[in-house]
Amino acid sequence: MKNVLKRIIFGPKEKEKYWWINVLVPIIAILLALVVGAIFIKLTGRSPIVAYKLLFGTSGLLPGPYWKDHFAEMLLSTSMFVATGLSFAIAAKAGLFFIGAEGDFLVGGITATYFGYAKPFANMPTFIHLTIIFIFVIIMGGIWGAIAGYLKVKKGIHEVISTIMLNWIAVYLIEDWLVIGPMKANVKTGISGTPYVSNTARLPIILHGTRLNISIIIMIIVTYLIWFLLYRTTFGYEIRAMGYTLIYGMEAPKAGGVDIDKRMIQVTFLAGAVAALGGAFIVLGILFQYPPVFGGGYGFDGITVALIGQNEPLGIFLASMFIGGLRTGAAAVQLAHIPKTFPSIIEGITVAFIALQELIRYWLMKAATAKKKSYVKIQGGADE
Amino acid sequence: MKALEVKNIVKQFPNVLANDHISLSIEKGEIFAVVGENGAGKSTLMKIIYGLYTPTSGEIYVFGKKVKIETPEDAIRLKIGMVHQEFMLIPRFTVTENIVLGDEPHRGMIFDYKRAVKEVRELSERFGLKVDPTDKVANIPVGIQQRVEILKILRRGAEILIFDEPTAVLTPEETEDLFKALRRLKAEGKTIIFISHKLKEVMTIADRIAVLRRGKLQGVVEKEKTNEVELARMMVGRNVVLEIPHVEAKIGKTVLSVRDLTVKNKRGIIGLKGVSFDVHSGEIVGIAGVEGNGQAELVNALIGFTRPVKGKIELDGKEIKLLTPYNLRTKGMVYIPEDRKRRGIVLPFRVRENIIMGQHTLYPFSKNGILNDSEINKFATKKLEEFDIRPRNIHVRGGNLSGGNQQKLILAREMSIEHKFLLASQPTRGLDIGAMEFVYKKLVEEKKKGIGVLLISLELSEIMGLSDRILVLYNGEIVGETTPDKTNEEELGLMMLGLKRQERVLQ
Ligand SMILES: Nc1ncnc2c1ncn2[C@@H]1O[C@H](COP(=O)(O)OP(=O)(O)OP(=O)(O)O)[C@@H](O)[C@H]1O
Ligand SMILES: [Mg+2]
Repeated sequence: MKNVLKRIIFGPKEKEKYWWINVLVPIIAILLALVVGAIFIKLTGRSPIVAYKLLFGTSGLLPGPYWKDHFAEMLLSTSMFVATGLSFAIAAKAGLFFIGAEGDFLVGGITATYFGYAKPFANMPTFIHLTIIFIFVIIMGGIWGAIAGYLKVKKGIHEVISTIMLNWIAVYLIEDWLVIGPMKANVKTGISGTPYVSNTARLPIILHGTRLNISIIIMIIVTYLIWFLLYRTTFGYEIRAMGYTLIYGMEAPKAGGVDIDKRMIQVTFLAGAVAALGGAFIVLGILFQYPPVFGGGYGFDGITVALIGQNEPLGIFLASMFIGGLRTGAAAVQLAHIPKTFPSIIEGITVAFIALQELIRYWLMKAATAKKKSYVKIQGGADE
Repeated sequence: MKALEVKNIVKQFPNVLANDHISLSIEKGEIFAVVGENGAGKSTLMKIIYGLYTPTSGEIYVFGKKVKIETPEDAIRLKIGMVHQEFMLIPRFTVTENIVLGDEPHRGMIFDYKRAVKEVRELSERFGLKVDPTDKVANIPVGIQQRVEILKILRRGAEILIFDEPTAVLTPEETEDLFKALRRLKAEGKTIIFISHKLKEVMTIADRIAVLRRGKLQGVVEKEKTNEVELARMMVGRNVVLEIPHVEAKIGKTVLSVRDLTVKNKRGIIGLKGVSFDVHSGEIVGIAGVEGNGQAELVNALIGFTRPVKGKIELDGKEIKLLTPYNLRTKGMVYIPEDRKRRGIVLPFRVRENIIMGQHTLYPFSKNGILNDSEINKFATKKLEEFDIRPRNIHVRGGNLSGGNQQKLILAREMSIEHKFLLASQPTRGLDIGAMEFVYKKLVEEKKKGIGVLLISLELSEIMGLSDRILVLYNGEIVGETTPDKTNEEELGLMMLGLKRQERVLQ
């Protein structure tokens, strides 16, 4: 039993000799981005040290004054980035370039709003109310995502095209119809949006005195579940096989009995559902209603974190904390007379370095093998 | 004069010492063959010479000068060219466009297609490599595509040409043509390095032959002073008898029945026309034919990749209506694909993952959709041993196995799935004689176990040696049915080329 548990939690021990390279790549990319950022700041005649001190001091990533508040804010946005990051990564593992998280996020948000204020549910205990809301969020987000998979399978429409269109359809459907039409709050004043969700639909706070709620715990669990799904189940086995082969037109998984069409639709459902969770978090934990205009962008931030996190669940979680930290600390850099968009520049440069990862890998590999001038004959190899 | 010299080349991969102090020197104007078992390190050595891999240690001299080859560009600059086994041509381009790509003749800023065509035509005549410069590459057979590859490297001024298993994908006629071209190139003073598993070919074409075994150079012999048997012994380290033990077939009930099967090919043209035949348990039915005469369509229909236009397929007495590759496995059919890299394995997957593909949903490898790693590892370890797959490491990625070991992996996997019918499509393509012997042994074992085997092969000797019954496929139709003792290679050859037909009565 203990062994089974250990296996489930830690997975197989794979003897990857240079596994640490995978870990170092994003770290090096981030460090390089910070160096480039520092040069920029220096060139404009300001002090990079002061700027970074402000940035990271208030990011919630490092202890400092008012750490509790920053830490809470950082984790609050982390959970949303994790949602959209995982959404991109799951599909990417199956060989899809799925950029529909933006739309799924909104669909999740509006679904959570509706079931949050709708009368029949409003007086239930919090736990049951939230459970019902999340079930519908997952179903609606999943269906919205699966449309892209369905179109790809049945009509051969590339997922990039369909997800971009679905994103816009979601925006117009929600913001230009639902929010100002059927779901409009019944108030006389100008500003409105939808009604506020009932108290039983608000995510319980886990750190007193802050806004930090259970969304981060949910995402820790979801991250683990996605990892488990990818690496410990036949479903994950099949979609990874698809991801490795489909873009090259190879047919091994198909010949091995994988029902590619079905898996494609399932994967897009999952990607949509996970992204929709993020939308639910922002409504149920921060805004408590669906505002007239939703400051979007989380969907595309998801691509950023997935790239930095190398499409691995744990990597995405850490990358989300990093991006969450940058966003949290953004306001403070203004004290050093640096625009608060500066952290976005760091993000962009990091992604640029990630794009150069083959080069970074090459350097690391060279460094790793250079030390050993003489070769070692390994037992049990082809030469035994 | 020495064209190429390598000294003490060592290549250490994480798990394998692929080249162990190899030193060779190759004269200008000779055809130099390299032979060795699957995984002996032949491709690795060639890739080092062509700049695709950097050696762990060792030196390379080209025309007497010490050189460092770090990329294929370096190699091309040093007049070394390589014809890869998978051609790197752009299907939608014409022959000419493919050949001049990267170094196009131009007038001013404009690509001068006319001149390019003329250049290609001249080049093709000069070396006796006939191509039609205006054909689209997608529409020409493999043999011609290979010529395009050769012309491409010749145009770049290659003096040393490396061929990694060039004949594995060719028909006997195409091989003949290739050899003519190689002799012509030799007469022009080009140096040729030639890798092959077919010792007969090596004995025909090579001047000298190097034998590699498990990363080490066993020796270099002159063609005149050796023979196939000795070469095989040097390669494998023991005597190999590639003769197939004759086992009387104990014919049982029908396991596969195909009636009036008509199938379209990828281009939408009927490629298989109303084919009918049966395979019984305990027999090997061989399908002989020149590549492209309906084999691919037959295979695709049998494994559920293409829906037949009409016809019926029955497996073990039950008609299969909605074919999918998955339900075929559950109904007792397994498949050894002709193109292992495309259809057989997932290259980045580890051996342990590849070896359960197709049965990954079954107990004990998974239960309720959750994989059981210790069972998978146990199974993989056992199969590596049983099928002698090297290296004995279940964590190696499929793409890092040598071709022969990939094939053994597929064999190990498919044969361990419970089945009544085995579809073996060119199961020995690219295998060394040791591995070939192994495959033959396994196929005969299958037959003894009462499994029905459909063997599709381009090698006549294989068809003659293994089959209990032979069907000849020509132009999408079965033009003859015979048995090995009633026919000979000549007669089969005539039927394969459509020059002879036999009436067939199906019971
Ligand atoms: N990129 C790689 N990484 C790790 N191991 C490798 C790699 N390429 C080859 N090998 C290993 O090196 C050994 C030699 O492989 P190589 O491809 O040179 O064999 P080969 O002689 O060409 O065999 P075949 O006749 O089957 O093509 C094999 O054991 C193989 O598994
Ligand atoms: Mg090879």
